[in-house]
Amino acid sequence: MRAEYINAFYLATQDVFRIMLDLETNRSGLRVTEELVPFLEANVVIGVTGDLTGSLLYSFPKEMALEMVKIMSGMEMDELDAFVTSAMGELANIISGNALTRLSQQNYNCNIVPPQIMVGGGRSLSMATPQAIVLSLETAIGNFDITISLTDRS
Amino acid sequence: MMWKEKYRVGAVLIDTQHQELFKRVSSFISIVQSPRLWDEKVEEVKETLAFMQEYVVIHFSDEERFQEEIGYPERERHRAIHSQFRGVIQNYVNRVAQEGYTQELMQELGGRLMTWLIMHVAGEDQKIGEFLRSQGGGHES
Repeated sequence: MRAEYINAFYLATQDVFRIMLDLETNRSGLRVTEELVPFLEANVVIGVTGDLTGSLLYSFPKEMALEMVKIMSGMEMDELDAFVTSAMGELANIISGNALTRLSQQNYNCNIVPPQIMVGGGRSLSMATPQAIVLSLETAIGNFDITISLTDRS
Repeated sequence: MMWKEKYRVGAVLIDTQHQELFKRVSSFISIVQSPRLWDEKVEEVKETLAFMQEYVVIHFSDEERFQEEIGYPERERHRAIHSQFRGVIQNYVNRVAQEGYTQELMQELGGRLMTWLIMHVAGEDQKIGEFLRSQGGGHES
């Protein structure tokens, strides 16, 4: 998997977090994994089709997801209900869309499949690639991961 | 409170409408998320949803007209984004017709609408402000 894919997701996340949450995001790690497993509580899976195909997994700790939705809504949130998970799904959708717009400038034309929400982790998901990259990010309200499993079909 | 001062575009009409829209989305979400029994509040959910939906339509169409008036160069792209989101709302209208006003569906709609709207106003709509400033300032109408 090429570095430019990872960078597109990093930059898109940074932009969206700044615009929507007034939060800075910093890279805290990058590692290779052979499994797509959501380890944290609030997870969003997004499928990618087109020149690049595969899946993206956004994994957030529960407290962080609740805080993010609190920042957006101005309301206290105390559980990962359909309102919170839907907001998280849309946020991951927006980040992925922005990342794919960046990749389209490098002539990769892709579409995204509507987000799938998973609360609670543990179950392994099928991957389009033998290996995926886990991009770990830190913010002032918590740390989260984006696992990128994309294969080049162009 | 969902509205933030940084969401201002610099055109009175658009900023006033955005504030009203955020207020209506906020009151819809407050009712949906309030700790009352769903059956006791479902009528209020329907009313606030209709009130909000009506304003989304008014605002999108006024904003599109405004973009025509000022000759905003990205108006076609912006119109397409509005149109795509109208499709998302219509999809929920169809689901309500089939599934009814269930708590889960209304929560899903609320979460999606809020997030989309914030990103649209704080991101895409700010480009209208940038264009206005490049043309010599804000807009009074």
